[in-house]
Amino acid sequence: MLGQPRPAETPYSVTARRGIISGERPVRFHARRDRGVIGCEKGNAMADLLAIGNWLLPLLYLALLVDYGTTFFLRTRTEARSPWLGVAVAAHLVYLVVRGVHLGYPPVTSAQEIASVLALTTAGVYAWVELASRDRRTGVFVLLLAFLFQYTSSMLLAGRVAEASEITPGAVGVWARLHVVPALVAYTALGFAGVYGLLYLLEHRGLRRRRFGVLFDRLPPLEVLEPMAWHALLTGFVAMTVAIAAGPLLLQAEGGEMTTKVLTKIITGSVAWVVCAVAVLGHWVGKWPASRTSAIAVVGFLVVMALMIVSGLLS
Amino acid sequence: MAELSVIGASHRTAPVEVRERLALAPDQAARVLAAMHAETTFDEAMLVSTCNRTEVYFVPRAATDPLAYVLDHVGRVKGARPEVDAEAFYRHDETDAVRHLFRVAASLDSQIVGEHEILGQVKDAYRLAVDARTTSALLNKLVHWAFRVGKRVRTETDLGAGSASVAAAAVDLARHIFSNLEGKTVLLVGAGQTAETAARALLRTGADRLIVANRTLYRGQQLAHDLAHMPADGGEGDAEAARRPPAADAVGLDAIGEAITKADLVITATDAAEPVLTWQALSDVLRARRSALLIVDIAVPRDVDARLGDLDNVYLYNIDDLDRLVERNLERRRLETPKAEAIVAQEVRQFNRWLASRRAAPTIRLLQKHLETIRTRQIERYAKQFSDADCTQLEQFTQSMCKQVLHAPLDMLKRLSTDATPSKRLAAVDLVRQLFDLDAIDDEQPR
Repeated sequence: MLGQPRPAETPYSVTARRGIISGERPVRFHARRDRGVIGCEKGNAMADLLAIGNWLLPLLYLALLVDYGTTFFLRTRTEARSPWLGVAVAAHLVYLVVRGVHLGYPPVTSAQEIASVLALTTAGVYAWVELASRDRRTGVFVLLLAFLFQYTSSMLLAGRVAEASEITPGAVGVWARLHVVPALVAYTALGFAGVYGLLYLLEHRGLRRRRFGVLFDRLPPLEVLEPMAWHALLTGFVAMTVAIAAGPLLLQAEGGEMTTKVLTKIITGSVAWVVCAVAVLGHWVGKWPASRTSAIAVVGFLVVMALMIVSGLLS
Repeated sequence: MAELSVIGASHRTAPVEVRERLALAPDQAARVLAAMHAETTFDEAMLVSTCNRTEVYFVPRAATDPLAYVLDHVGRVKGARPEVDAEAFYRHDETDAVRHLFRVAASLDSQIVGEHEILGQVKDAYRLAVDARTTSALLNKLVHWAFRVGKRVRTETDLGAGSASVAAAAVDLARHIFSNLEGKTVLLVGAGQTAETAARALLRTGADRLIVANRTLYRGQQLAHDLAHMPADGGEGDAEAARRPPAADAVGLDAIGEAITKADLVITATDAAEPVLTWQALSDVLRARRSALLIVDIAVPRDVDARLGDLDNVYLYNIDDLDRLVERNLERRRLETPKAEAIVAQEVRQFNRWLASRRAAPTIRLLQKHLETIRTRQIERYAKQFSDADCTQLEQFTQSMCKQVLHAPLDMLKRLSTDATPSKRLAAVDLVRQLFDLDAIDDEQPR
């Protein structure tokens, strides 16, 4: 049962892993410990690696933040490519793979794990955007988000980074994948919509109020920011629709128990979907101006962030 | 006699009525340089002539009054020798001349500090001088160095950032709204000079469709034709020069309502007493549009009803807004000046170091040292194969051989240092340094 102390002798078993949709009782997964001396040493090495990665990643994102902040505020190398973003993304990917291998399940089962994956997807998608646009001016804002996600994850995992979460078999099954992957895409997209929507509003208001300050000088033009926010919203809407559709099937696979954790997830996901849907409909049907769509993206993003934090605290 | 000098008059020393008497068109400057090349007064010369300065950089060969000499030549191509007080001119020699050119190239000596045209103008001046064959080792090196300084200042400081004129401010605002002006349509309302300048700037930046709305249709058509066929921007406008001319059209003021639906940028500058772009006529049209519209109202009294600026996709600016933007940018440039001056000072020091290395004496010393190093290394390498007595002889033999080898080049360098013109000496020293790869050795020496 959930919350029961983990029996020290219980090994991670393939049987338990495969019994996902057979309605078995929830199993507590934990790191593999049945591999003898060599396996044990490997396990310890992996645990050490994870501990290092857990404190190294926020530092890496912080260093990137300083680098991109310098670029933005001191107006240097706006078109130059920095290898460090790629290094951070690769290191983060390695960290998550190692964590997945060590624990024996994809690390997307708890709020802290999801926060880390969101940090990676945010940084990864931004790296692609930078590669395509050859413009690193907005990096500081997006990477701030990645840093906050990873910092939150690292703080919550501090001291128990190599320990497994308490999960049900359904949480690692096919419905979970159909639910979790689009949900991650949707939250990442909403993050981008929030950041680019905010930048759009800052530039838009600066231009209207004749505030020719630092932001006026440094931000990309409205015609660049607006499609970024809009495409992110559209992606978020489509992905969240898929995630919500797969949600009930996942819940059923996990036993159908409506816990507080599940309830907060449903509320968060629904709010995110409503935000995206309102913005998409407003843009297409209502012919809203970009400033209104951007404002909705920003407010929606903040509300979803707040709900995610509450959800994390409750779980 | 100085090795390098500059003599000229600029906005700092001469009023516009003096400067226009000295200003030379490119073909006139080419004729002056050709005449100088035919004579022996200057060893090297380059003539920079813009609306703000006319100056000659030269390496003198014969002792003469350079000002009188230059004025004579200017007089010959202009038809009469310009009567200008000597006080209107400045002269800088040696390091001061180097610093002056670097400051000019960095746009620190410009009337509007940080303006972008000057580097292109210096490049044009250099091209003319190269065509007239009035440059050699010293000016070639100096001018290329100046280009580098200009680029460094532009990339490492904000000296040239932001707009410094009303026309440039309009372009600046457009760049904050649109990612690319290519494919954008400019609507020019009125045919005033300032609006025309702003429209020219926008078209040069990439806008490729133009509609001129004017009370007199004929004047509008004329202006549309002129703007569509304006010459490509010179200077560094390489890519722009190859661009196809913008499509241009003209309409009457009564057709503004329809024209504005096609426009992305509107510049208005009529002398009408009442607004031309009114709320009643345009609010519904502008409310319905989904893309952004930039309106720059340069007219006084204003041409655009201020309420139109409250519409969500409309960005409306008047002449005061543009002035504020320009003033702010100029202030920013002023704050960047010390940084740019520091770069210039650093580059002047480096150029002087290079120049000093091109004198005969240090080159002779370096050459002797270089051969001595080779000789010693070879002796050490083969010494084991000889007896002590043979080694002594070998030492004497190699020393003597090195002296013989060095005799002719050293003699030439010594003669050049006393007899030759600076340009010839520089070219010869440069050749020797390249032949023996002395620069690489010099870089290894502790400074």
